[in-house]
Amino acid sequence: MSSDTVSGGLFERLESSGLSLRYVLGLLGLVFMAVLPLLSEFELGIGIPGVFVFAVDNLLLLKLTGALYFGMFAMSWDVVSGYTGQISFGHGVFFAVGGYTSALLNIEFGIAPALAVPVGVVLAAVTGLVIGVPALRLRGPYLSLVTLVAPLILLNVFIWQSGTFGGERGLLGEDYFLGLGSDAALEVYYIALVLFTLIFALLFAVTRSDAGRVFTAIREDEDAVAAAGLNPAKFKTFAFVLSAAVGGLAGAMFVHSPVGGARPSELMSVIVNVEVIIAAILGGMGTIVGAAIGGVFLILLQDGLSNLGDALTIPIPGTETGVVLTPPIPFSQMDFLLFAVITLVLLLVLPGGIVRAGIRGGRRVLRRVRSDREDPVATDGGRVEDSNDGENADAGRAPERAVYRNYRDALEGDDDEH
Amino acid sequence: MSVASVLVETAIISALYALVAIGFTLIFGVGGVLNLAHGASITVGAYTTYYVTRVFGYGVGVGILAAVAASGLFGAVLYLGLVKRIQDEPILVMITTLVTAVAIEQVVVVLVGTEEKSIPALLRGNADILGTNVQLNMLAVFVLSWVVIAGLFAFVNYTKAGKALLATSMSHKGAALVGIEADRINLMTWVLAGAIAGLAGVFLGSFQTASYAMGQGPLVLSFTIVVLGGIGSIKGSVLGAYLIGFLEIMTIEYISPSLTGLTPLIVLVAVLLAKPEGLFGRELVEA
Repeated sequence: MSSDTVSGGLFERLESSGLSLRYVLGLLGLVFMAVLPLLSEFELGIGIPGVFVFAVDNLLLLKLTGALYFGMFAMSWDVVSGYTGQISFGHGVFFAVGGYTSALLNIEFGIAPALAVPVGVVLAAVTGLVIGVPALRLRGPYLSLVTLVAPLILLNVFIWQSGTFGGERGLLGEDYFLGLGSDAALEVYYIALVLFTLIFALLFAVTRSDAGRVFTAIREDEDAVAAAGLNPAKFKTFAFVLSAAVGGLAGAMFVHSPVGGARPSELMSVIVNVEVIIAAILGGMGTIVGAAIGGVFLILLQDGLSNLGDALTIPIPGTETGVVLTPPIPFSQMDFLLFAVITLVLLLVLPGGIVRAGIRGGRRVLRRVRSDREDPVATDGGRVEDSNDGENADAGRAPERAVYRNYRDALEGDDDEH
Repeated sequence: MSVASVLVETAIISALYALVAIGFTLIFGVGGVLNLAHGASITVGAYTTYYVTRVFGYGVGVGILAAVAASGLFGAVLYLGLVKRIQDEPILVMITTLVTAVAIEQVVVVLVGTEEKSIPALLRGNADILGTNVQLNMLAVFVLSWVVIAGLFAFVNYTKAGKALLATSMSHKGAALVGIEADRINLMTWVLAGAIAGLAGVFLGSFQTASYAMGQGPLVLSFTIVVLGGIGSIKGSVLGAYLIGFLEIMTIEYISPSLTGLTPLIVLVAVLLAKPEGLFGRELVEA
């Protein structure tokens, strides 16, 4: 959006802050999200009337709330899958455990959401332990199979005990968090934004800490981690539990917001599980930033596509749906199909993710801009203090590569070795 | 329900389960990738028959042939269009095939809608076997499934192309050394797997109904059977299918019908945790 306004002068000012450009852009993005409600009644769009136009109003704020919670889902996936390389195909289990626990406590026992949400988080973390510990025995695709099946088991239990869990229709009648419904869109939005920022900061800090380095090392070579005297099982369990707790928190808060509900279709369907993976991979696996951006972007993209779908279909008078919005589900018409196709293309074209491609492209631009002034290689090559991020960005598609390699080893076994 | 009727029902339903799982195990065994769009092939088959018979008004036989052709073609397109360029990266194959599966579901939703559609039965009427009343349709499904399984077995073991397929599944390097082109074998596997899954889709649709999400259950069933039977083993798949079929009938009969979908899932998790390499190893491929 702002890339066309970039000039040498702007770069110099941004660089003088001492942070690298992408951090500044990230912070600017957050600040933009924070002041967005002040721009009320402005329209943001890509210039084609009726397509991808977002007017800044309560409706948009609610959409963004859903998008922010989905961004949290994607970040929680990235912690365990992007970093330790344990690809989870069923992260919806954690969202559902968090969301359903909180909603059930609220509906059955009248416990206020503010108290029920933490219980949901704890139970989600316990679920992370329950799935994570047995999964330590498994590697590669076998672990993915277990995670793929976990939400299906949960769904079957929900249908089996539909008196308690409401079956496929889900639960109805949970209270809003602090009583803030769709008429208090501003407050709902800011709660989501603050939570999003806190979770982002937490996960960013964890993945950039020593523990995060061990996560990455596990992804690259688990045996080497064990050989170095560190226990991979301990770190993998930690990653699972942290991820599950964050997912549970996002799920529980989402359920108590006016945009979401405790329904299988919104928390744990195959589509949700796939969307989380798509968001994180398209954003850039193993970066947290990528997952955060990917998650928010994906919901907005879907919303734009559904508007596009509306524009393409003939409006039937008297069927205005008004303010009913349920991101990220259900998409009963064309929009999700379009989205799936776009995703397939992006997966094949940009397998490393948008954020990584952006960083690489940005560096190229920076280098060209800077080359007028100084030696470009020296500024880029040897920055020791930034090594962790440098590694993430410079390694390009490394995280996926490592995961692919592990999966290949697990699948083919000793086929190629003799 | 008598023991005899449990056995009859198990025999019939398990034959269909074996048919569902065989394509999945073929791709897993030969290409080393998990095709999460396997359920989508089933959906493609079922809906092709639905269109040919209910919309265009042809007979069931034409519908079945069309389904086999369409799902075989689907397998070819999937392999050549998507999987071929990423087949060395199993996780990417899993993700793209999963997205494809979701996309196929959406195509069905857009074209046909979410309501369930019926597919004509292969045969009408009932028969009495071991004191159990069985629909002739089920019986036809049972016989045809076994014909296809036996045919595949013969193909793999006694024809040149089949032996090449077997060789590729055992060792890519070895197969390459004796001049077998892996890409051609892979394409053949995907077409075969797609066609068999499409046939299974017609059968499933003929005694249940066809719905846009009808591929999800069989997909999970395929995992379970393949994991149980061992990677890439046709014989293992048939045995696994019978084990799962038996467990499922027992669960429905003696515990609760609402647990229908749960049995294979629990078996899958239990087997993965206890013995991830499956009950039968890779070696059974040879048999």
